[in-house]
Order: sequence, then structure tokens, then C-alpha cells
Amino acid sequence: MALLEVKDLDVRFAVRGGDLTALRGISFSLDSGERLGLVGESGAGKSVAAFSILNLIARPGYIAGGQILYRGRDLASMSERELRKIRGNRIAMIFQDPMMTLNPVLTIGTQMVEAIEAHRKTGKKEARAIALDRLQKVQIPSPGKRLDQYPHELSGGMRQRVIIAIALLLEPEIIIADEPTTALDVTIQAEIMDLLLNLCEQENVALMLITHDLGVVSQVTQRMLVMYSGRIIEQGPTREIINDAQHPYTQGLINALPQMGEPGQRLFQIPGSMPSLKNVPTGCPFHPRCNFATEQCTRRMPEYVRSGNVDVACYEVANLIEQEKRMQEAES
Amino acid sequence: MTSPLVSIRGLEKRFDLSGSLLEQITFKGGRLRRRQEAVHAINGVDLDVQKGEALCVVGESGCGKSTVARTVMGLLSPSAGEIHFGGQRIDNLEGKAALPYRRRMQMIFQNPYASLNPRMTIQQTLEEPIRFHHPDWSATQVRDKIHEVMHSVGIDLDWGSRFGHEFSGGQRQRIAIARALVVDPEFIVADEPISALDVSIQAQVLNLLMDAQESRGLTYLFITHDLAVVEHFGTRVAVMYLGRVCELADTKTLFARPRHPYTQALLSAIPKLEDDRPNHIRLNGEVPTPVNLPSGCVFHGRCPYANERCRREVPAMIATDSGTQVACHAVEEGRL
Repeated sequence: MALLEVKDLDVRFAVRGGDLTALRGISFSLDSGERLGLVGESGAGKSVAAFSILNLIARPGYIAGGQILYRGRDLASMSERELRKIRGNRIAMIFQDPMMTLNPVLTIGTQMVEAIEAHRKTGKKEARAIALDRLQKVQIPSPGKRLDQYPHELSGGMRQRVIIAIALLLEPEIIIADEPTTALDVTIQAEIMDLLLNLCEQENVALMLITHDLGVVSQVTQRMLVMYSGRIIEQGPTREIINDAQHPYTQGLINALPQMGEPGQRLFQIPGSMPSLKNVPTGCPFHPRCNFATEQCTRRMPEYVRSGNVDVACYEVANLIEQEKRMQEAES
Repeated sequence: MTSPLVSIRGLEKRFDLSGSLLEQITFKGGRLRRRQEAVHAINGVDLDVQKGEALCVVGESGCGKSTVARTVMGLLSPSAGEIHFGGQRIDNLEGKAALPYRRRMQMIFQNPYASLNPRMTIQQTLEEPIRFHHPDWSATQVRDKIHEVMHSVGIDLDWGSRFGHEFSGGQRQRIAIARALVVDPEFIVADEPISALDVSIQAQVLNLLMDAQESRGLTYLFITHDLAVVEHFGTRVAVMYLGRVCELADTKTLFARPRHPYTQALLSAIPKLEDDRPNHIRLNGEVPTPVNLPSGCVFHGRCPYANERCRREVPAMIATDSGTQVACHAVEEGRL
């Protein structure tokens, strides 16, 4: 059984004039110790997906349907009280901006001890020892000193290390990291990613990494999901998708990277931009920007088809697979 | 080689932190002391931008790359040094005398959400620079020019009556580019023009900038932290660290054979699609504060090759056999 299994998740935002659907029929699973990447551009719904797992979406957002099974228990229908035992304890979260997540008027030590005391019955001294141990694990320079410092005394990279240390405090099984390195410089980003990767491997923590950076996903994760306009349009092993993307949107995303183009030549570009939630196109939401779109694409959202080990929601891919099958049958 | 279009000589920029005279004075040990502090944003930068090229300036936050852009544009006045445009010194020009140069150089900013006036329609936004620089143009001339530019950057003509907030980030950046192009500049300073945009939109805007360069013969000073963009877009690259240029080379040469240890670390840190187990060069510590600059080479505290001389002496730019210019004692001494 998968450690975390999301089934047919629908998330909506109740606004004047009706509901906006932010997530539509999202299904995926995460195994113990696995590293999963969630990729997409702004507005694709990747952060909403991450937040809704721990039921952290604020009103007017709500989970309209589907299940989020953690070890077989449904987080979506669990009471807040029960959920609190899991949130931060078994499933921890890392956010994009470390300055926003740390309390500016409390020392690092106080914040860490607070988190431990919320979940475990321990003395202050013991809690502080755990905090110190985690700060050592994230290789922060002079960890003992950091316990008594305030967030503003640390640099961006160090703050993100502290955040990772806090996430590790209670030995979680899953860490959900929402763009953990986006606010950081490249060299610092590389260090933090290395650290996160090594810690997850050492401690056998499953990682769900939300990012817009395909380079990071390809270096860190084993499987990935590509989201577009609230739907998962492609999911499968990271290497397979990066090397041979099936969905036209994923292909476009990869080919639009400057490193994929010949220096000085025009880059491949996907025309237009992601639709807003207010007017999501009918059928496949990508069809207005897609080179392969046919009349069929405008009518119904395509079902997933399997190509290799990758699941893709695209009529064009489905047709190609169908053709291939027929050709093979004709040959034999 | 022909003379450069823009040339920056010995540029320095300090931002004073200590406030007014009264705030600087402290009473300590029975004596009045005056304490002055400043952020040393740029510490002696020499750069030439050749006509028709795209010179990319890369570096991490706080390295002074945006300050270079703003100083070149005259948005900030340099603390020391000179800026020449087409052979004429421009950093000391004021008012009317600077006007012709302001038309010939335009800027594109990072955040298109902040750089468009929310109270102006797109039409007004695009008209303003023309009316300012060409007060003698007729209404028809202005309109024709705007339509020509709107067409060339892929803006619908009927956007003209709408306001900035009605557009997405990529569309706004197109408008900002159009605004820079309406006065037919020769030189464009682009400060992280695509950093705030999504991947698929980045490609659109980058293509647009390259098209404009080709059709209008533009020269770019392109500020970015994204090395993948530099490799694609840049003719030459200047790598900055703590207010100094540490390496300057042709894009191809720099990516094929980075010489400065900082450049090497920077290049190895780019997340690439190909390798799943990257080998980053690890740097010790983090960028020091530009308030108290390290002695000698500003990079010595994090450099794996630093020795006594690096801590003492500021390295000068030297030319290597590969055509790269690099400021590093280790390279000069053949240790690297």
C-alpha cells in the first residue's frame, strides 16, 4: 500500500458568481521514501494540491470531493483535532519563503522547542537537545549559537536550513516542500537541494517537491507529475518524462528552456498563456495552445493512456498508441 | 576593433548607511566619534559594450549587477568613475544636455507589475516617451510609430485603450518592451526582464528580445542571474561578485572553460536536465556583506584556492590565452 494516496481530489474556491475549480480529479500516490516532483507554471494548481493534502487551504477554498489517504486514513474527512496529530508530526511542510514561515519575534530555539512540545511530552531540556541535533543534521555552522538567535540574524540560505531542521524535528514520514529554493541564489539553491536530497535518503523520508524548475525536478525526484490548469496531464518516472515527454505541454515546457535551444537561435515557444480559473477552456484545457488540437480536444477532457511507464491525458498520444497497436497487429 | 558603444571606466557606487551628521556622531570613552558606514555596491567596474552585442552581467543577489544597470542608465549617479556613450562622457551631463542620450538608451525592468503606470492606458504608456522626446511629431506620426512597434512586439492594436492590470505578466513585459522601443533606442539595458515570468512565457519574451535585436540592430546590457539564459542569449558574459567583475569572456569560451573559481562554482550549480546526480562545487560560507568588504580578493573567504596573497592583494584583470579576462591570482600564477 502506498504511504499517501490521493484519489480524485477536487478543490474549489467559492467566490461570488459560483465556484472556481482549482483542482479537478487529481490522483497520485507516494510510496515510503520516494521522491515525487510536482511541476507546473503559476496557476497550474501545484501549491493548492500541496496545501490541500494537509487541509491547509483557507476559505473560500474547500475540498469538494475525493480522498487523501495517509496509511489508509482519509485526511480529507478527518477532524481538525486528529489532523493536527499528523500535520507537522508525520507529514511536515517546507514553504517557499523562510522569512514568512519563521516567527520574527521568537528565537530559533523557542520555535523549535514549541514544535516538539506540541506533539510530544518532553522536558524543555530534552526538546532543546533534539533541536540541536536537527540543526547539526542540516549542517548549519555553529548550531548551538543559532538556537538563541532570531530569524533576521540569519541569511536566506541559513533560514531555509533552519526550516528543514524544523521539518525534521519529529522524524516525519513525508516532507512536502513548496518551492523550497525559489527565493535563493543558484549556489545556495544547489546546496539546499543537495542537503534535502541527502537527508531524505538517510532518514528514509518521502519527499513531495513542488517546483517550476525542471532542472531541479530532474536532479532530485524519481517520479514526477506535470500539472496544467488544475489537472495532472502527465505522470511517471522523472527520467522517462524528461527524456521523452509525451504530452504536448510537457514537451513545450522542456523545449522552451534556453538550454534546449541552439545558442543565438529562437527558442521553441508555446503560444499564449495558462487560462485563468474563471474561464478554463472546455475539453482539454491546453487545446487553445496546442499544435495537435483537434475538434475532439475541445469537447471532452481526455482519459489517461499509458505510454511506457507514463500516464498521459492526451488524445493525440492515445491515437498514436492506437495506430502503433494496429500496425503491429497488421504485421503479425 | 571599433570603439565600443558604451564604456564604463572605474565605476564605483556606494550607498551611505550612516544617515545625517548627527546620527553619525557617537559619544564613547569621553570623546566624540564620527562613524560612517556605506554599502559598497560597485567597487571598480570596467566594461565595454560593443555595438550590436548582448553583454550579459551575471551574479548572485547583492553582487551589484542591478546597480551597474541603473548607474549606466543615469538612474543613479556614480560615486566615482565614468560612463561613456558613443565616445561622449554622459555621467556628468544634466538636464537638456543628457536628453539626446536618454532617447538613445532605454531600460526594461524586472517586474512588469510595478513598471507600468496603473493609471495610464497602454496607448498613453506608449505615447509618453515619444511625446517627450519628439515634441514636434504630429498625432499621426505618433500613432503610426506606436502601431508599428505594437505590431512588431505582438501586441493587439485594441489593447491600446486598456490598462496594465488587465494583462498577464508576459503581456505586460511585451508592453514594457514596446515602451522602450518606441523612441528607437540603440542601446537597451534589461534588468532581469524574464525572471518574474513562467518558463513558457520566458521563451516568448526572450525570442522577442532577440527578434528586436536582429531587426533593429540593438545593443543589450542584459542583467540576469540565470546562466542558462546567458548561454543562449549572450554574446559576452561578465561575472560579478561583490561589486567587482571577476571574469569576462565570450559566452562560448566562458561556458566551455570557466577560469575563475567563482564562475566554476556558479556553472556547476545550474540544475541541468541531463544528470540526475549532480556534482556541485561546494563553496564555503555565504556572500560576505558589502558593508565591510574583505581585504584583497573579495572572493578569498570562500575560495578553495585562496592563499596569503589573495587575502592581501586585490587581483587585477588579466587576459589569458583563451581570450578570457579574469581577476584571479591563482590563474595568474598558473595554480589553476
